[in-house]
Amino acid sequence: MPAYNEGERLTATLEGLARGLGDRARATTVFVVDDGSVHALRTDSLRQVTSPMRVVVARHPINLGQGAALETARRMALHPQWQPADGPFDVLVTMDSDGQHQPHDVLKLVDAIEGGADVALGDRFAGGSNVPSSRRIVLHLARFFERALTGLALADAHNGLRAFRPRAMAAMRIRQNRMAHATELLQHIARAAFGRPAHAALSLVEVPVSVVYNDEVRAKGQRASGAVAIVVDLMHAFLFGAEPSEPV
Amino acid sequence: MRAELTPAAVALVVLLAALLVHDGLTLARHRRVLAIQAAAFAAGALLIVFPEIARRLAHAVGIGRGVDFVLYPLVIWLVRESLLSRRRYHEQHERLTEMCRAVAMLQARDVRGESPAGRVGDPARPAP
Repeated sequence: MPAYNEGERLTATLEGLARGLGDRARATTVFVVDDGSVHALRTDSLRQVTSPMRVVVARHPINLGQGAALETARRMALHPQWQPADGPFDVLVTMDSDGQHQPHDVLKLVDAIEGGADVALGDRFAGGSNVPSSRRIVLHLARFFERALTGLALADAHNGLRAFRPRAMAAMRIRQNRMAHATELLQHIARAAFGRPAHAALSLVEVPVSVVYNDEVRAKGQRASGAVAIVVDLMHAFLFGAEPSEPV
Repeated sequence: MRAELTPAAVALVVLLAALLVHDGLTLARHRRVLAIQAAAFAAGALLIVFPEIARRLAHAVGIGRGVDFVLYPLVIWLVRESLLSRRRYHEQHERLTEMCRAVAMLQARDVRGESPAGRVGDPARPAP
């Protein structure tokens, strides 16, 4: 869970998650990566409200971007140091920290992975989300863009609520520090989903989820101009990015 | 061959001289850079004041105008320099990201205070 200047909103999100996960909260670890917020997270205030979940907080010394924060969380989640005593995590979920994603949707994604999928992506359009019309247009354009780039025909290409089986997450190394990480993840997923040999290919499902667009989420959400920045970042990666190496 | 001291040529030469003086004051410790810059500026001033030199050189290699003889390699050099700078920036940014990430992982804490002792934060066993 990446967080930048979320403050009390992060506390509320974690509190809601701890409550919403019910019995599963006890077996849940949340990796919060504070991406260089102006005011560092006060972890003492989290202790009470997040029980019985385990919450691990890491802080980037400077703001790097959501993609960088997700990659830090991904590496921690895959590292044996932070894994439960009884072995690796069963399911790894990425979600936003601003409260737009719902705990019951997290459980739906977890169920999809436990049902046999390797990757489960949230589909906000099938889940009855109150997506603002301007955002809806941008997201539909993004669908076509992603389809042309990756070959994946997704209903919702840029939802931050995703779940992975650990072997799938291991292949999802994120090099895009900013918002282009969503496209980069889809490129990884497409490569893995269409991979050879066929038995090694990852299976992908979309799960209806509900994204809440309240005033705060809208105020902090991406602007349409962010799409241009994403294309520029992808172009930079294409020109200057290192060749894919061993998964980290 | 005669000098063509048009107002534009004079203005350009004055601009080059001013830049050289400015850089001479601010980059005084980088004498090699200054020497290369002074040589490039002198060559530029020569081509501005005596455009016939560029014209003859251009004709010798099959380029129509003397100014194109200067512009073509200049554009190629600028584009190359721009791409190299971008690549260097990209590489530096990746290194900075990895350093920040290493610091973050080294200092990561469980909010319940159950930091994995002897693991994260232990200088003897730094996180990867």
